[in-house]
Amino acid sequence: MPAAPLRRPAAGLSPLLARRLVVVTGKGGTGKTSVVAALGRAAANAGHRVLLVETGRDENLPRLLSRDGRPAGYAGRSYDDGLRSMRIDPYDALAEYLRLQLGVPGLVTRVLHNRGFRQLMDAAPGWRELITLGKVWHLEQQKDPRGEPLHDLLIVDAPATGHGLTFLDVPRVVVSAVRAGPLKRHASAVEAMLEDEAATLLVPVALPEELPARETAELVHRVREGVGIRVDRVVVNAVPAPPFPAALPDLDARLATLPADARIPGLPDPRVLARCAAHLRGRYELAQEYVARIGEWTGLPLVALPWLAQGVRGPAELDRLAEALLAGEAS
Amino acid sequence: MSPAARAGPPGAGRTPSALLRERRVVVCLGSGGVGKTTISAALALQGARLGRRVLVLTIDPARRLADALGLEGGLGSEPRRLPPALLARLGVPPEGELSALMLDMKSTFDDLVARFARSDAERERILRNPLYQHVSDALAGSAEYSAMEKVYQLSESKDLDLIVVDTPPAQHAIDFLEAPERLLEFLESPVVRLLLHPALAAGRTGFRLFQRGTARVLQLLERVSGLAFLQDISEFLLAFEGMSEGFRARARTVKALLEGPQSAYVLATGPGPESTAQGAALADRLAQGGVTLSGLVANRVRLWPGPAPTARAYSPEGEAALAAALAAAHGARFPARDAARAALALARGYAALVERDASALEPLASRVRARGGFVVAVPEFERDVHDLGGLAAIADRLGEVA
Repeated sequence: MPAAPLRRPAAGLSPLLARRLVVVTGKGGTGKTSVVAALGRAAANAGHRVLLVETGRDENLPRLLSRDGRPAGYAGRSYDDGLRSMRIDPYDALAEYLRLQLGVPGLVTRVLHNRGFRQLMDAAPGWRELITLGKVWHLEQQKDPRGEPLHDLLIVDAPATGHGLTFLDVPRVVVSAVRAGPLKRHASAVEAMLEDEAATLLVPVALPEELPARETAELVHRVREGVGIRVDRVVVNAVPAPPFPAALPDLDARLATLPADARIPGLPDPRVLARCAAHLRGRYELAQEYVARIGEWTGLPLVALPWLAQGVRGPAELDRLAEALLAGEAS
Repeated sequence: MSPAARAGPPGAGRTPSALLRERRVVVCLGSGGVGKTTISAALALQGARLGRRVLVLTIDPARRLADALGLEGGLGSEPRRLPPALLARLGVPPEGELSALMLDMKSTFDDLVARFARSDAERERILRNPLYQHVSDALAGSAEYSAMEKVYQLSESKDLDLIVVDTPPAQHAIDFLEAPERLLEFLESPVVRLLLHPALAAGRTGFRLFQRGTARVLQLLERVSGLAFLQDISEFLLAFEGMSEGFRARARTVKALLEGPQSAYVLATGPGPESTAQGAALADRLAQGGVTLSGLVANRVRLWPGPAPTARAYSPEGEAALAAALAAAHGARFPARDAARAALALARGYAALVERDASALEPLASRVRARGGFVVAVPEFERDVHDLGGLAAIADRLGEVA
């Protein structure tokens, strides 16, 4: 299979979604999966056929996107709005790959159930990343009966940052390590897909906090230095709104002057209010600082997503995030 | 992992301090983003405060530990000690020490090859093998082997009393704990034993010697991967042949250390339902692997900074009284009523977070307590913890639990 040029991205979508492949990455706990789901809903609402791909051991998308939360598995599942998701299990992907390569299903099944083979594969590094990306490439190439792309957009929920970069770097390593053969050709095709600037976008998700901010900056620098994949913006998730009304900018200071013995029903110690207000102001200002630093450290435009008190539980919150993601496009 | 209990004698280490005093290895586990590195560093600092010579090891590819410890220029594969004067200011007695180390998996793996290679020629053959270079350098998954090796090396050191291990995020942490076992299984598997057989060096004809299934596997791999790649693998494994006995003995010792009474496991979680659910899932997986948790540290939990307001505070009566108190303090021109309303709205929002964090944590906390473990809630601070002052504040919380 030569590295066929990728088809042009779907037209009429915001630049964030007018891609063939969006890889969402970020430190664990940044809400990567929510961003994947929100982007997916936005693109599906715009009438595009979208496939969301999870790569972790546990599936999180079905819980966000459906009432029943039924896992999608390798076969995938659909949601109400035409959105689909799946989880790539490396062993499933390997079985499919071997079947396609060898065309002997019975043999492949026996091999995959061979204990020695399992032990070898459990211990062998790197192939999980390669086979997962290989499956993504394969999905990207799939066509419907009319010869049109089966999916307009693939959105991949990549592993957390540290390992996320290794994940994206594996095809390059394989291309340089393997001298010849089908594996080298396939790794080259995957590498070409990732490096196609018009088709593929890496979206780092950060939080307005010290360590995620630093890690995002490091990610962006390393991507620029070595891993050939386009990155042109950073999503900053869970940015809190100002804690005080605009007319009362010094509310915490005002509350701090309340005497400890002020008799207010339900408030054993009125100073608690001031401490609480100061805490929230502190967290807000800190978040603002980190938003600014992420911009400064990465040199990239930012898309800020609101902090949601209730957390991200389902479509209502996802659509708020999607709105913010696409509003960020205009600025 | 075998279902052997890993937590040592029951009843031991019921507080963080007891654990840090008694054990040799404390492994901190948790899903991504919970502040595991910070918690590990705080555990290490608290250990040093108890007069122990402590090393904190990070195997996370991101450089968080150096940041948290304020070590400019980052960490390397050699331990970096914090200056005694600095430690003294943080309440560490003269006999206590704290150092930190960032695992460089490449150099650890190279050390291993150098140690177990039977000759210079063998060492060179391995180090130059293209597969080795990539396995030890760039491909994901080899970090765990190297990490285990480092933990073991450090545990042999006479200059250290305690090693605190900061692990990579959830699913990799499991790989980490299973690494010695997987390495042993791998080295003893028929595939590897046959690959290691010198007759195979001759090439294809050697495959006939294989048992049927294995031979098929390798033929398949050959067809899919191309012969060049397979030759690299076979050369790589052949080169390791002489070393494999040393490796095996080492992996067994490492396994014994991690499963023995000298080691303990602490789970770190963040606040709120999502993070706690991830923590519970990880605890399940650890339990299946035979790991008993000695403690739970919930990080960045929203707590009331004093006695919490009751429902009456939010009633019209409470609001009016607060407005009156604010008006008395700030004069008639101050919009006291708006301020009272805003302050109570803010408090109500905070109360919801406090309640959410507490109820999210409780199921996991009672589970850990039921097994004799400790539970520490570290409050969310006004500033992020990324320096020694912040670590000391967390260490204080760890020390308070009796």
